[in-house]
Amino acid sequence: METISSRAVPTVQAEREAAIEAVGLCKSFKTPVVAQGRFSGIRSLFSREYTTKEAVRDIGFTVEKGDFVGYIGPNGAGKSTTIKMLTGILHPSSGSVKLAGVDPHRDRLRCASRLGVVFGQRSQLWWDLPVKDSYDILAHMYGVKDTDKARRLGEFAELLDLREFWDTPVRKLSLGQRMRADIAAAMLHDPELLFLDEPTIGLDVNAKRNIRGFLKVLNEEFGKTILLTTHDMDDIEQLCRRVMVIGGGRLTYDGTVEGLRREIGLPTEIKVTYRDGYVLPRQGDDLIIAADSRFAMHIVSRTESTLTVEVNRQEVRTMDVLRELGHWGEIEDVEMREPDFEEIIRRVYG
Amino acid sequence: MISFRSNTRLYRALAAKAYARNIQYRGSHLLHNFASAAFGYLYACIWMGLGRDHSLGDYGTIGMMHYITFTQTSLWVASFTTMGLGIPQSVRTGQIALDLMRPVHLFAHLMAKEWGQIAYQFLYKSIPIYIVMQLALGLTPIDGGRTLPLALTALAGAAYMTICMNYMMGISALWTTESSWLYWGNQALMNLLAGFFIPLEWLPGWLQTVAWASPYPFMLYAPTQFYLGKGDPVLLLGTLAWCAALTLLCMLSTKALRHKVEVQGG
Amino acid sequence: MNERKAAGVTDRRLALRNYIKLYLILIRTSIRSRMQYRFNFALGTLLAAIIQLSEFLMVAIVLAKFGAVRGWTMHEVGYLFAVMTLAKTLYRTFANEVHNLERYLVEGELDQLLTKPLPVLLSLMPRGFRLMPGELLQGGAILAWAFGEMLQTGQVTWWAVPQTLFAIVTGGVVLFAIGMATATCGFWTTRISMLQNMTEDAAQTAARYPLTLYPGWMSGLLLTAIPVGLVGYLPALYILRGELGLWVFPVLAAASCLAVLLALRFWKFGISKYQSTGS
Repeated sequence: METISSRAVPTVQAEREAAIEAVGLCKSFKTPVVAQGRFSGIRSLFSREYTTKEAVRDIGFTVEKGDFVGYIGPNGAGKSTTIKMLTGILHPSSGSVKLAGVDPHRDRLRCASRLGVVFGQRSQLWWDLPVKDSYDILAHMYGVKDTDKARRLGEFAELLDLREFWDTPVRKLSLGQRMRADIAAAMLHDPELLFLDEPTIGLDVNAKRNIRGFLKVLNEEFGKTILLTTHDMDDIEQLCRRVMVIGGGRLTYDGTVEGLRREIGLPTEIKVTYRDGYVLPRQGDDLIIAADSRFAMHIVSRTESTLTVEVNRQEVRTMDVLRELGHWGEIEDVEMREPDFEEIIRRVYG
Repeated sequence: MISFRSNTRLYRALAAKAYARNIQYRGSHLLHNFASAAFGYLYACIWMGLGRDHSLGDYGTIGMMHYITFTQTSLWVASFTTMGLGIPQSVRTGQIALDLMRPVHLFAHLMAKEWGQIAYQFLYKSIPIYIVMQLALGLTPIDGGRTLPLALTALAGAAYMTICMNYMMGISALWTTESSWLYWGNQALMNLLAGFFIPLEWLPGWLQTVAWASPYPFMLYAPTQFYLGKGDPVLLLGTLAWCAALTLLCMLSTKALRHKVEVQGG
Repeated sequence: MNERKAAGVTDRRLALRNYIKLYLILIRTSIRSRMQYRFNFALGTLLAAIIQLSEFLMVAIVLAKFGAVRGWTMHEVGYLFAVMTLAKTLYRTFANEVHNLERYLVEGELDQLLTKPLPVLLSLMPRGFRLMPGELLQGGAILAWAFGEMLQTGQVTWWAVPQTLFAIVTGGVVLFAIGMATATCGFWTTRISMLQNMTEDAAQTAARYPLTLYPGWMSGLLLTAIPVGLVGYLPALYILRGELGLWVFPVLAAASCLAVLLALRFWKFGISKYQSTGS
């Protein structure tokens, strides 16, 4: 609740407050159990059993003003549920969220005017109208003055190259163009905090570069706080200084990108084809310790003549692995593959 | 040469698939029938209201209630079919070119699918609606149901005619984007000229002439007359004649379609 | 304390002014983008009007032959038709997205509306604004035809015109309330098209005819639970037949406001349910 004193010194307070403060966020959903067996349809009319699914368990973090944070995790881990709770769409089962000191669930309207949200798959623009008309309408929705709107759009037009489709109806835009238009629309009312949900999905390289450039400018020059969810690790590497990983509803990592890389290491899959078959040192084990116990490798898959293992190349050299593998049979061919970052995240933190 | 015959197994399979596709939604469809029955009930109420103040000619109030019951029931067989038999959609996605390349004639192919759809609608929409309306209006089937076989035969002819008309409307999608207007226009004409709400003999003379010059009366009016036990079997000849004529038009339309697709690339 | 209140009031006034400007822009740009395809637009409008006319023609032919249904003449029934069409057009022009809520629920598009600085309903409505000239044409034509005859026979005076316009507006509000309440059920059931078929399509069709046609329980239903009877039938009783009294109009105003308020409360309840259990 607002008090006289907090109203008297607004700016100093805002400076001190974190952009996002999440404490103990939990969200569980009750889903009805699909009845089986006889008369299941009728039985479900009279009584329903529910199971509780915990989508988000006790997530807490603080994002300071001016941060650029990446939020990643496998699908179904609770990522979009968290974002929905942060933006005021979904009420948490327990815990609290504050955006610059304001609770988006008690004060949705006040928060909304300070927030910009971009959903990757959906557009907030009007489908049949030219892009510029959508901006006019949105400006009135947010109460943006004409002079401010013109100035901001002018700046965005430069950075995002909006003028090429200024008059085109939104339904005729390519995905890259629409995404650029949507990001500009989200920033039209000059929010301090920007949420982006998979903004680069399905875009070509040029569009991605353009958007990343814009986001960088927003963060570094305009001081906007940005929270980005994505499946593209290049986004994280190029833009974020900090990354949070969610897995199974919990925050499993919160730190720098380099730190994440270090923790994960450099897992590599090495597939070896043997000329005349091979013999494993110990049958039936998935984990093999090297002869001189210097490193371990996981067996990912095997056939009669091939063997695929996974090692962490930050801990061991490829040559050592091949030498060990060579003890088990005569190597004819070698293939190496680095699984993508996404897959690793899923395996390690999912 | 495109074969019509030796593909009966294929046609049966197509029809069965269309039928099966609908079965999974039968729960919600059955519920939806109440909404359809509500419309029928409304129209019946109008005639009941008219019947209180006027004599309703040959039919009488009860006769009109039977009339409305049967036309409402028949709608799901003779009128509510897949728009353009799915051809406009197919044209939009370019699928039409593939369909034309099949060894089965496009008309036979789409007709088989539609028969499956119609069979489903007959069982899960027409029959329930018929039963509900009978209960709601306190009616029993005419003559203990003895008029049904003839009526249903005429109805089958009506279904065939609707398939033909939708086929041609669908093909028009290749030349215009407004094919859905044709569909709705067709529905509107049916309202007026097929005797959906008013028995045709009560239309003004000029409109009757217009109606009988079209296939519409044979789609709702004729089957309903058979149901009421008033139908002259010669009407069936009319149904047959129109079926033949429309089939011919469909063949010609297909030729035009094929020409356009092959020459212009669709 | 007063300063804060005053600030709140000017904020709200500014917000209202902005919202109205928003709609003006929306109307202007919608017209402009439609006009770009002038031929298509005209043809489509004409076809739509004709197609809908056929339903009235059906009934008109019956009435021309039989004279009257329950004491209501062809022109009077035409009046009921037209008023319902125009009220429905008013409702669907501004609140079409409420009617289409099912799509938003199925595709999860409601979420982005919750990030806007407006109540969900107010963010929702501008998204689906669309002009419906075909329906306006049809309703207007039938209304003009009905009025033409009734003015000539002296059944009504020119006062009936503003009175009818008033009824159309309150009727539109009532239909909006029914639509909103029906759509709100979607927060629990997601699919609402069957329910809409009954509360909107069937009910509106029923109210195009004098309610005396239907059994007592039905006409009662159509005046209370699903009050489509308030759109055309009730005003027509006074405007065309001189029954009831001038009090009909304040009652219509009050009833439509009440309907909307009740529907709004239900809607807000639905939104809060959506926000706690998601989609």
